[in-house]
Amino acid sequence: MRFEGPAAVAARREELARKDPDVRTLRVCGGPGCLASGSRELLAALKEAAVASGLDPAKRRISFTGCLGLCERGPLLELDPEGHFLRGVAPSDAAEVVGTALGEGKLVPRLSPNPESPEKESLEFYGPQKRLIMRRFGKIDPESFDDYLATGGYEALVISLFESGPAETLRRVAESGLRGRGGGGFPAGLKWKAMTGAKGTPRYVLANGDEGDPGAFMNRSLMEGDPLAVVEGLTIGAFALGAERGIIYVRNEYPLSVARLEKAIAGARARGLLGENILGTDFSFDLSVTEGGGAFVCGESTALMASIEGREGTPRVKYVRSTEAGLWDKPTVLQNVETWANVPLIAANGPEWFKGIGAKGNPGTKVFSLAGETRNTGLVELPLGTKVGVLVNVVGGGVRKGRRFKAIQSGGPSGGCLPESALELPLDFDHLTEAGAMMGSGGIIVMDDLSCPVDVARYFTGFLAEESCGKCVPCREALPVLREVLSDLTRGSGRKGDTDFLEKQAGLLKETALCGLGQSAANPVLSTIRHFREEYLEHESGYCRSGRCRGLYVPVIDPGACRACGSCQKVCPAGAVGGKKKEKRTVAAGKCVGCGACLKACAFFAIRAERKEHVG
Amino acid sequence: MSGERSGERFRDVLRGTIDGKTVVARRGATVLETAESVGIRIPTLCHREGLPPDGNCRLCVVETKGKLVISCMFPVREDGFAILTQSPGVREARRFVLSLMLNRAPKAPAILKLAGEYGAGADPRFSRDPDNCVRCGRCVRACRANRTEAIALVGRGFERSVSGPFEKPPPDCVGCLSCAFVCPTGNILYSERDGKRRIWDKEFRLVPCPECGTPVFTEEQIRFLGEKASGLCPECGRRRLASALRNAEPLSGGSRGF
Repeated sequence: MRFEGPAAVAARREELARKDPDVRTLRVCGGPGCLASGSRELLAALKEAAVASGLDPAKRRISFTGCLGLCERGPLLELDPEGHFLRGVAPSDAAEVVGTALGEGKLVPRLSPNPESPEKESLEFYGPQKRLIMRRFGKIDPESFDDYLATGGYEALVISLFESGPAETLRRVAESGLRGRGGGGFPAGLKWKAMTGAKGTPRYVLANGDEGDPGAFMNRSLMEGDPLAVVEGLTIGAFALGAERGIIYVRNEYPLSVARLEKAIAGARARGLLGENILGTDFSFDLSVTEGGGAFVCGESTALMASIEGREGTPRVKYVRSTEAGLWDKPTVLQNVETWANVPLIAANGPEWFKGIGAKGNPGTKVFSLAGETRNTGLVELPLGTKVGVLVNVVGGGVRKGRRFKAIQSGGPSGGCLPESALELPLDFDHLTEAGAMMGSGGIIVMDDLSCPVDVARYFTGFLAEESCGKCVPCREALPVLREVLSDLTRGSGRKGDTDFLEKQAGLLKETALCGLGQSAANPVLSTIRHFREEYLEHESGYCRSGRCRGLYVPVIDPGACRACGSCQKVCPAGAVGGKKKEKRTVAAGKCVGCGACLKACAFFAIRAERKEHVG
Repeated sequence: MSGERSGERFRDVLRGTIDGKTVVARRGATVLETAESVGIRIPTLCHREGLPPDGNCRLCVVETKGKLVISCMFPVREDGFAILTQSPGVREARRFVLSLMLNRAPKAPAILKLAGEYGAGADPRFSRDPDNCVRCGRCVRACRANRTEAIALVGRGFERSVSGPFEKPPPDCVGCLSCAFVCPTGNILYSERDGKRRIWDKEFRLVPCPECGTPVFTEEQIRFLGEKASGLCPECGRRRLASALRNAEPLSGGSRGF
């Protein structure tokens, strides 16, 4: 069923809109979090229940949809068109959900987080969000081409091809101020303009879906939740840039992303939206998926290209830009999949509309994965420039009861750690970089008072040392040195002057490493020292105030604050907490193994991590 | 010569300074080439004439516009370039890189010499499995340039090392010694005894030069080179070329002055 022109696309979209006015769909979250909490089993149970209850499968549909965001409460469900949002749904709930929700369109109150107002938008988690990139998550079956078309898909390509033309399309993207969502925030327009002046064919557009940050899943959710948005974005980009070929690079740990993208590409190709003479024009463009082996460094642009070319994934010195000589030494524009997914929005709605969202110099939204010690965690999309505090305290619902906010780690392993003052910081490329962190691909980890910045730096530096490709001397040799010193500090074998040494070495690493990853690999050390130097110095002398580094503190119970609840005693594996029922507890320092369980268990801030020397 | 072409040539000549000294450079030439053309020495390690540059050792850093770049690959692209090859920042970066290398290759003379120059030293706290290989990959690039591609850099990060496939003696190695020849730290060892050569845990039979009898090439090497191989040792090869040139007819139309 090939579309020969724009009229055929519009006609099909209308047809889809006309059909089935009273169809109801139960959309089961198929995001990574809900898949992990059992949404695949839930989907099967729901389908079984629907068959058993004899509902008409054409009018009462059940399908997977993209990530609904509130991963922590999964598996999640949304009822379309009612918009009812259900959480924590188990396969044992299937019969009731099918009967009440799918069959009658009614709410199942016990599964709703807010029965008064059952749409998810009424929850504080969703309140400040603006779901643009995620707008189809919950609304479509990501494997259905028709669903994509019916929700405005390919309107933007038609506008670009038949109204704007390449120059105007490029102008729109350039004027919109769109910045690269993969981490650096480089203006997409500058990259695109640089490619137009470059000579050589074929020309390539590439999408980076390699997402290697531990805990990050925004790119994955996009590729799995709305794969055609990436495909359409690349097609529009290719049209504006005169590219003939496109490749989406996805790590092979994301088999579902690969499958969904391949299905999307096949669907677009079958309809004449990829391949020769797209929509009857003389514009031809085709797209494929290349699977990466999962090395962190292959998210770096030149390493990614080397990997596509079949060589080992190591970066090259970038004094010649990829827009001049990229993949196979041909002009290439590489952008993150989220950047590409913004392109249809801009191509259709224009730059002024886009600039109206977000902050000055940082237009649009950004998808973040919120993890760590907040009450709500999950996938979040916010207008750029939203205060960090809104993300942590409103969307995230603040840190858990009895704990104090300490820091955020932003931008993945090579991002940075920011202290409490960061709550006032606008979440955008420039402010984060200025504060010593970075946007990265959008991973945000919230830490409370039990997290130790030295230990956090040790963890991330260790990760980066493992993932360093080893090509250049500074990254290969200095990261293990940093890791060694950080390990010493967290084990109590740190030396006086280690903090200054670390700062110096990390600074030199930043200046001398070959690629962006090597340069930013110094960030965990540099940013934690910048904001938490005092704690580093305490570690030099064998003290960890956070009660995180084993052996570097002794828990002391403040009798004034202890409510004699006994939680600490229950969790202590060493029997070091003494005291009878309804009595205030004490810790026998000699028995304590330094696991920190009591600190976590106390809801009244009654236990402090004290210096060993101070405790008799 | 047409005016247009000379104009193009003119545009291709750039003027700037290196360490304050006025220098003329060809557009696109590397900073390293340009510096060397006026006798300014910049230390290098992974760089070697005849091999594609890789920029991995970071020793040849220089400063331009307040930033560190590596001179072996950074091209001169604009008039008025200003390069510093010995600024405090440059010297500190080199000291840093050399100290890191010394943790790995504490006995390599080439590195020890530079380390002395820049005041770098190994730190016993971080010395691990010293093996004198600095992972610069000159051997791998030489092997690739020869099209034998017998060895490669394998492993990631600190574990990166030079090896044959699956860490076994490389089946494609022809025993040509190019790798050992270009190694800056002398870490690639080989031995020759009784008409046999050993390298990469492989043994090769040496074929004597048909003129003087000196064993230079391995059987595998001669087979690999095919028609291109004369089998002559470099000395006899040069002698034969010289005599061929002596006996050759002068080229017609060639201008040799008087």
